[in-house]
Amino acid sequence: MRGRRMRGARRRRWASRLHGPSGLSLTSLMDILTCLLFFVLKSFVAGGEATVPPPGLNLPASTAERQQTTSLVVAVQQDAIFVSGERVASLDEVLSGEGMVIAPLAQRAEAARDQMDALAKQRGRTPDASHLVTIQGDSDIEFRVLQKVMYTLDQSGFPDIALAVIKKA
Amino acid sequence: MNVFIVLIPMLLMSAVFMEIRVIEMSAPSAEGPAGEVVAKPDLHLSLRVHADAYELTGEGLAPVFVARGAVERKGTLSPTTTARLQQVLGSVATAHPGEHEIRIVAEQGTRYQEIVTLMDLARSAGLSDAALVSAREDA
Repeated sequence: MRGRRMRGARRRRWASRLHGPSGLSLTSLMDILTCLLFFVLKSFVAGGEATVPPPGLNLPASTAERQQTTSLVVAVQQDAIFVSGERVASLDEVLSGEGMVIAPLAQRAEAARDQMDALAKQRGRTPDASHLVTIQGDSDIEFRVLQKVMYTLDQSGFPDIALAVIKKA
Repeated sequence: MNVFIVLIPMLLMSAVFMEIRVIEMSAPSAEGPAGEVVAKPDLHLSLRVHADAYELTGEGLAPVFVARGAVERKGTLSPTTTARLQQVLGSVATAHPGEHEIRIVAEQGTRYQEIVTLMDLARSAGLSDAALVSAREDA
């Protein structure tokens, strides 16, 4: 008699758990969202250094459709030039310098080119005759700066130049 | 929990708006023979940036001037100038279907955004091989 009553109470509890107002489990949702967040963050980083412009640099907007490839990255900000995130020259030096070649940039680009060639040799490949460089220029820089940067890179063994832009929405 | 729900769409949206693309090109010409790196097109089509106008010139083409209008600080063109340039470049590209090269002759102080916009306009008209030249050297 008592056992039957207990079984009945258990069944009612079970039924109420099944049909009652059951909210979403916060813990499992939290887990899913955390996984998603990390996945999204990782997908941002996965594209390599070229995808992340330095802070404070506004790339020009363009309708270009070509995807970027891995290459040496030269960032031209409003006050300085950076190669792979390392500051090589200030813009004042660039503008006051005579001639078209920016010496510190040329030195750094040549070193990068030699490094690329050495790496290609190590991997058993013949070094490429031309190398690609991506210029991340601020939209507000003047043409004379861009021209000097492009000319220097061309003279330093980087004749193929890609200008990084932000795709217009 | 709510923070996560807000954060994820925000990250996804910024991923859409911050898509980075590239414009591939050859280096600009400088003094002397280095300028000959770019192969000369048959039409020698050039889009020159002057202080108050853009000038489209080419072999056998009468120069066409488009008022530059008020270029904003960030180097964006006014809608009227954009439309007029589109029309001019489009008509030249239609008249010379095999022509894909254009030289953009910029002034020393021309803003990078303005150059990119001019390259975009040329590309949309079918002139996809743009080369940069300085006005000082081209003169």
